[in-house]
Amino acid sequence: MSLLAQYALTGVVTGCFLILATIGFSLTRQVEGFLNIAHAEMLGVSAFITWGLNAVAGWPFIPAAAAAVVATALIGLGIGRLVYDPMRRLGPAVLLITSVGVAYVIAGVMHAIIGTGIRSLDVPLATTYKAFGLRITDYQMAVVALAALTGISLALFMNRTRTGLAIRAMSANPELAASRGIDVRQTSRATWLLSSGLAGLAGVMLALIATLSTDIAFNQILQILAVAILAGLGSLYSVIVAGLIVGIAMDVSVYFIPAGYRPLIAFLVVILALLVRPEGLSGKARS
Amino acid sequence: MKTNTATRMGSVLLCSTLLAGAVAVAPLAAQAEEVTIGILVPLTGELGEFGKIVAGGVELGVAEVNAAGGTKCGTIRAVVADTGGNPEVAIREATKMIKSEGAVAVVGPTSGEMVALVDLAKRTKTVLMSPYAGTITLNETGGDYVYRTVSSDLGDGAASGLWLSEKGYKRVAFLVQNEESTISPAQVAKAKLEASGIELTDYIVYNPGQPSYQAELVSVLANAPDAIYLAGGQESGVTVIKEATAGGFEGEWLFTADLAVPEVFDAVGAQYLNDRAYVELASSDRSLPEFKAFETLFKEKNGGAPGPFAANSFDMANLVALSLEKADACTGEGINAVIRDIADGGEPVGTFAAGKEAIAAGKDVNYEGASGPLAFDKSGTPAGSYSIQEAKDGKWVDLKFYPASAFE
Repeated sequence: MSLLAQYALTGVVTGCFLILATIGFSLTRQVEGFLNIAHAEMLGVSAFITWGLNAVAGWPFIPAAAAAVVATALIGLGIGRLVYDPMRRLGPAVLLITSVGVAYVIAGVMHAIIGTGIRSLDVPLATTYKAFGLRITDYQMAVVALAALTGISLALFMNRTRTGLAIRAMSANPELAASRGIDVRQTSRATWLLSSGLAGLAGVMLALIATLSTDIAFNQILQILAVAILAGLGSLYSVIVAGLIVGIAMDVSVYFIPAGYRPLIAFLVVILALLVRPEGLSGKARS
Repeated sequence: MKTNTATRMGSVLLCSTLLAGAVAVAPLAAQAEEVTIGILVPLTGELGEFGKIVAGGVELGVAEVNAAGGTKCGTIRAVVADTGGNPEVAIREATKMIKSEGAVAVVGPTSGEMVALVDLAKRTKTVLMSPYAGTITLNETGGDYVYRTVSSDLGDGAASGLWLSEKGYKRVAFLVQNEESTISPAQVAKAKLEASGIELTDYIVYNPGQPSYQAELVSVLANAPDAIYLAGGQESGVTVIKEATAGGFEGEWLFTADLAVPEVFDAVGAQYLNDRAYVELASSDRSLPEFKAFETLFKEKNGGAPGPFAANSFDMANLVALSLEKADACTGEGINAVIRDIADGGEPVGTFAAGKEAIAAGKDVNYEGASGPLAFDKSGTPAGSYSIQEAKDGKWVDLKFYPASAFE
C-alpha cells in the first residue's frame, strides 16, 4: 500500500512539473490561437541559461534561475514580435507550422552554442525526507511549491490586474475585446512575456531535476500536448487539474504495468477523457 | 573533465585540419588517383562524444595509410558527415557520400543507423562498417557489405552477466533503457544471473528523455538490491544514478558502455561513484603488441590516451585500405570480395605499411587489429573481448579483462 502511495506522491511531482511546462503553452493557445510547438524548446533555453550562469559562470542557483526566467521571457517576447506577429494574419495553421520551424532554429542554435554531451547544474545532490513511509526530495518539493505558487500568482494576476483581465478578454473573444478598446498588440506582448516566463520557470526546474542535453526539452512536447488537450480551452485552472491527472496516472501505472508503457498512459488518459468529454476538462468548446 | 573533452575535441580538429591540409596540398596529378571513404558519425547529440572519437580514430588510420604512400587505388580521401544519431539523417548523408562523393566505403554509423543503412549498402554495393554497433539485428543482416570491428551486444550481456555472478551479489536489480541495443545485452545478462541463482529484484525497462525517473525507481529502492545493472544512455543514466543515490541506494552499480565516459563523474559527483561503480565495455586486449603500437601512435599524434572504440575505428581504416590494396577493383564490390581474407588467414600484419609490402610480395595477409583479432563470422562480426573498469578517484580504471576465450 505504501508502495502505491509512493507512486501517487511521485505522480503529484510529475504532475506539478507538467503544470509548469504546460500552463504557458495553454496561455499562448488561448490568446494567440495556435499550438506553439516551440514552447518546449523555451524550457531548454531557460535550462541552459541557468546552467551557463550556475555551472559555468559560477553564480548561485537562485540568481541564475531568476536571470534565466527573465531572459527566457524576453527571448520569447522577441520571437513573438519578430516571427509570429507578422505571420498572424495567415492563420493558426501557418503559425503552428512556423512554430515547428522556430523549434528547429532554437534547437540548432542551442546545439551550436552548447555542443554535445550532458550537462548538470553545480548544485548538491538532492536531500531525501521521509515521513509516513513515503520519501520526497527537496528538489521535488521545490517543483510542487513552485507549481502551487505559480497557480496562485497567475490566478491573482488574471483576476486583479488590468493586463490579466485584458488577456482573459482576448482569450474569450479577441474581436469583441478589440472593439471594447483593449490594446490587442500590448496584450499580445504581455502574453508572450508571461507564457515564455512560465516556460522559463519550467526550464529552471528541468535543469534542477534532470540531466541536460540539447534534446531533453523538446522530448517534453508530447506530454505538454497531452495535458493541454485534456485541459481544453477554458480556464487555466483546468491545466492544473489535467497536469495532476496525467502525472499521477503515468506514475501510478508503473505499479501495475511495465514502466516502458508509462508515456502511453498520458495519451490513454487523454483518449478516455475526450471520449467522455470531448471539450476537455474546462468544458469550453473551440469556436 | 572539460579539459579532457576540450583536448579531445582539439585533437580531432587538429587531425581533421591536418588531413584536410594533406588533401588540399595533394598534387593535382594525384587527384585522379584518389579513393573516397565516408566517415558517418554522430558528432552532435547524446553520442556526439563517441562520434568524435570514432572520426578521430578513422582519420588517424587514413593519415597513416596516406603516409605509407596510399593504396594502389590512390590516396584515401575522407569525407565526414554528422548524423546527430538520427537514422534518417544517416541515410541522407550516406546517399550523398556514395552518389555525390563516390565513397567506396562508409564507416562509423551507430547501431540504429547501421540497421537503417543495410539496404542502401547492399543496393549500392558499398561497404558499410561500424566500430561500435553491437545491435543483434546485424547478427542476422550483416556479413555481405556490412561489417563491424566490434562484437555483438550479446557479448556485452555475457560479460556483464559473468561479472555480476563472479562479484558475489545476492540480489540485483536491472534498469534498462527502452532500446534494442540495451535490452538485448540485458536479457543475456539476466539469463546468466538466473542460471547462477542470483535473485533479480526488479527488471525495469524505462523510456529515455524524461526529466525524472523517480517512478521507475520506487520499487527498485524499496527492494534495496546489492547492485543495480544500469543499461542506459548518459542523459537518462546520470539522472537515474543521482535519484537512486539521493533516494538512499547504498549498493553497487554496473553500467554499460555509454556511461564509460569521464563526464559521468562531473555530472553525478565522483564521491558517489568511487569504489562502488563499475562499467562493462567491449575492449581491446591492451597487452597485444598491435594495441600498444596504436596507443603509442595515438599519443604521439593526439597527445592523449585513445578513447573508447578509437582502436576499433583505426582498424576500420586499415581494413578498408588493405582490402583496396588487394582488390581487383577500386570499388565497394572489390573491397567486399576480399575483406574477409584480409582479416583472417595469411601472414599476420599489424600495420597498413606491413600489409602493403606483404601483398606486393604476393602473400596473403591477416590484419591483426589494434582492437584485437578481426576474423569475421558469417554476420561480419569479430569475436569480442571485454573489460570491466572501476570508478577510482574520479576516473575509470581497468579492473578485469575478459578475452574472447572466456565465453567459449
